Amino acid sequence: MNEFILIIPILTVLTASIVLMLLSMYDKFSTKNFITVASIFLIIALGFSIGTFTEIYSVKIYSDIFNNALIFDSFSNFFSILLIFGTLLTLLIGEHYFLHRKYFKGEFFTILMFALFGMILLANANELITAFIALEIASFSVYVMVGYNSDDSKRVEAIFKYLVLGSFIGAFYLLGSVLIYGATQTTNLTEIAVYISNHSGNDLTLVYIGMTLILFTFLFKIAAFPFQSWVLDVYRGAPMIITAYMAATFKIAIFSFFLRVFLQDISNVIDFWDSIMYVLVILTLVFGTWLAVSQKIVKRMLAASSIVHTGYLLLAFLALGQNIEAAYATMFYLIAYLLSALGAFGLISHIISETSVRVTFEDFKGLSKERPFLAAMMTIFLLSLAGIPSTIGFIGKFHVFTEAISAGFASLAVLAIIATIVSVYYYFRLIAMMYFYPANASCESQGFNDKRVSTYVIAFIGVLTILGGIGSAIVFFIPVINIDSIISIAQMTVQSLFIK
Amino acid sequence: MSADVLSFIIFLPAVVAFGLLVTTKNIEAVRNMAFLTTIVVLALVLKLYLEFEPSEGIQFVTNASWISSYGINYYIGVDGISLTILMMIAILIPTSYLLLWEGRTKGYWINMLLVQTGVTGSLLSLDIVLFYFFWEVMLLPVFLLIGIYGFGQKEFTTIKVTVYTMAGSLLMFVAVLYLGVTFNSEFGYWSFQYTDLMRITTLNYNEKIWLFLAFLAAFAIKIPIFPLHTWIMETYKNAPTGAVFLLSSIMAKLGVYAIIRFMIPIFPDIYVEFSMWFVIFGLFGLIYFGIAALMQDDIKRMFAYSSASHLSFISAGIFSLNAYGMNGALYLIIAHAIATGALFLLVGIIHDETGTKSIKKLGGLAKTAPIFTVIFAIMLFANVGLPGTNGFVSELLIIFGIYEFNHTLGYISALTVIIGASYMLWMFQRAILQDRDGECLNMRDLKIKEIIGLTPWVILVFLMGIYPDIFIDKFEPTVTHYINDILKIGAMK
Repeated sequence: MNEFILIIPILTVLTASIVLMLLSMYDKFSTKNFITVASIFLIIALGFSIGTFTEIYSVKIYSDIFNNALIFDSFSNFFSILLIFGTLLTLLIGEHYFLHRKYFKGEFFTILMFALFGMILLANANELITAFIALEIASFSVYVMVGYNSDDSKRVEAIFKYLVLGSFIGAFYLLGSVLIYGATQTTNLTEIAVYISNHSGNDLTLVYIGMTLILFTFLFKIAAFPFQSWVLDVYRGAPMIITAYMAATFKIAIFSFFLRVFLQDISNVIDFWDSIMYVLVILTLVFGTWLAVSQKIVKRMLAASSIVHTGYLLLAFLALGQNIEAAYATMFYLIAYLLSALGAFGLISHIISETSVRVTFEDFKGLSKERPFLAAMMTIFLLSLAGIPSTIGFIGKFHVFTEAISAGFASLAVLAIIATIVSVYYYFRLIAMMYFYPANASCESQGFNDKRVSTYVIAFIGVLTILGGIGSAIVFFIPVINIDSIISIAQMTVQSLFIK
Repeated sequence: MSADVLSFIIFLPAVVAFGLLVTTKNIEAVRNMAFLTTIVVLALVLKLYLEFEPSEGIQFVTNASWISSYGINYYIGVDGISLTILMMIAILIPTSYLLLWEGRTKGYWINMLLVQTGVTGSLLSLDIVLFYFFWEVMLLPVFLLIGIYGFGQKEFTTIKVTVYTMAGSLLMFVAVLYLGVTFNSEFGYWSFQYTDLMRITTLNYNEKIWLFLAFLAAFAIKIPIFPLHTWIMETYKNAPTGAVFLLSSIMAKLGVYAIIRFMIPIFPDIYVEFSMWFVIFGLFGLIYFGIAALMQDDIKRMFAYSSASHLSFISAGIFSLNAYGMNGALYLIIAHAIATGALFLLVGIIHDETGTKSIKKLGGLAKTAPIFTVIFAIMLFANVGLPGTNGFVSELLIIFGIYEFNHTLGYISALTVIIGASYMLWMFQRAILQDRDGECLNMRDLKIKEIIGLTPWVILVFLMGIYPDIFIDKFEPTVTHYINDILKIGAMK
């Protein structure tokens, strides 16, 4: 396969960010123009990534230039598609929000594109330091976006907390890389894997410590216990649509790299972490659930519940040590969570874009009477988050729990189910607020225009959420989404990791 | 008849519901369309009923791959047991529409239709994941029905009932996954069909007990069996008539059905081993709920306890390990659905007309509403188990069954029937017959529509009571198969 075709998507994203940066110097372009330009670039990138999805491949691209630091395979392609798709959806679902918030200028979209660039780079990284650079490109872009709302007093706390903790945890990553380099004389993942498979015992001590430090970064970025405490404040302080972006798309990027590391390179040392991870899964689920139950502000509830979803993902990750099928479960769950979380966060940002009153559970009273369509869509996303059948969230949970049980973690699966039972409580509370109460007069906004891009994108995500849950076997006449095909794509992409 | 007719029966209400949701705002049109849909379903089910050959096997099977990477199929079909219950659902739902006819909104009818899809779907599913899928889906419309159209502390009630029932069914979900994984490790491929899961041999005793209990949690909460009943009081009190009708006379029966369909075949040995406990639990529930019903002032709450009491009796019949008990339990499922369903709907009318459900405040209804009183009395007698009604046949069979299972328990069960008779008749005397001094409650009599709606129920009460064979013949072979073959398997394991 021609190597250049493979890098077109990432180059397109990079070009997009530069073009947008240049455009943002001129005042005559409106926010709408920026959204359009960015979307067009993203659609091109998406088209090229899907276009290369014809066969299993694994190419260490231009190895004489990049020295094997970058790898392009079906696996990274799969994640690139998800990341671009996630960003595109974020952009379109947030259209209304961007237009009604004066502080979103052209630069913002440049930063968004840079974040996407960093994330795709991360999915393609085959070397620890490259991954670190990619991670930092993405992270710094996200830091900036978190603090973008200059009117909000909460943003200072949010950006400060996130920046300081994020940089601090980044140092752990570097230290880990250094230790691994000390032991193996390389930072290239393929060579590390070779080293690990050829050595044992004391030779691996430094690798163990180094990998554990890297694991810390991973846990911090996905907000697992004990690094979950930043989530609530940061998510609360960030503009709503950025929260959606961080919760769904950014998490996928993190998983793309660490899945690669776990699957391909260090499968021999993975047992070392089992007991640590076991405890972390329990604590993540328990803390996340506890936080989510006690929230009064909807945004914080969703943020806290994202910790619980991290717990489910970690459970699948833990099962990865026993059977590789868990990787497909993780990938499916990421898709499921991308759709439902983006839908839920995006929908709220859509509602609050003209007014800022819908904050607490109480404010959502009577939404079904005011805007029946949005309330119905919100219900679908919440049901999907809660894992109720006929939504994609159910199938996601089904995969994760099945794999956890087959890997021998039945007790953890029971705990995860209990967390799910509790989650029914806090998700359904919001549904109850929307449907069972008369409208709250102070929250009504007049002249809300529902015929917008955002509305259609929400409907689109809603349809995907349902189709992903019932598949084409029950809806005989719509052969578009098949649950099996997602799984078989995931299987195919994972196989590309093992092409030597 | 084509096998796809079952899919049609399942999905027609849902398709119509979504169609109505987006097209019309006219409430009457929605109601009429919804009613028409249920009539079409009834016609199809009638045809199915007549074409069904009494046998032990499953007929009208559709088996299509759904999630093939985990061997989950869209696998549906009927046997004698599910056919009988399907028939009951198909008759009860349209007639209930006639009694709920006036003053409901669009959302009410749409939710009623969606419940029907969930209920028939889970009834006909033979793949346990598919069953779980429908089982959960049918909860959501009920959740909305109670939350939007309920009374009093409806929000608290809905959250409580939802979390309660989902807690049970999610535990079942773990058990389902565990069984699937066990099957996969034993046979090397995935399957969630209950016939396949029956073949599992590698589970050890402790695992089986835990799985059995996880399944039981889901079904016992739905039925409800003592002590998992605490959700029903508020729910039956605060929920709108339609939801109470669906919960008590249809969904509760699905809990019982699911025990027969999935738990007994998959865990026959556990079923046999613990049957004594469950019969005792059932009888205890029968007495406990009966006494609780005696003390109620609110008629709806009283029926809630009475319903729970009868359902405990049904579960005692199922665990009595012989064909008498099982046939009786199935028969009581139908009889109870008819009687309780009708009573809840009639109480709904009382509440709409007089504004009260309190036995102390009611009285003298018989004077202004004679037809109402007659039908109320018939349903009451059926519920109590008066000879000539279907309640009598079913209670008799269950008592025989329990007697054969254990003589002492048989005597006890025979005596407990008195409790039911006493609270029902006492209530009837106070709330309907006895005159109030001075004040007269102006209760309207039944409208012609409502009488038409109730007529098939009244006919069924007597037909099933006088000539039970025409119904028992349909499900007897299946029950015999269950009792003989499955218990034999249980003895071997």
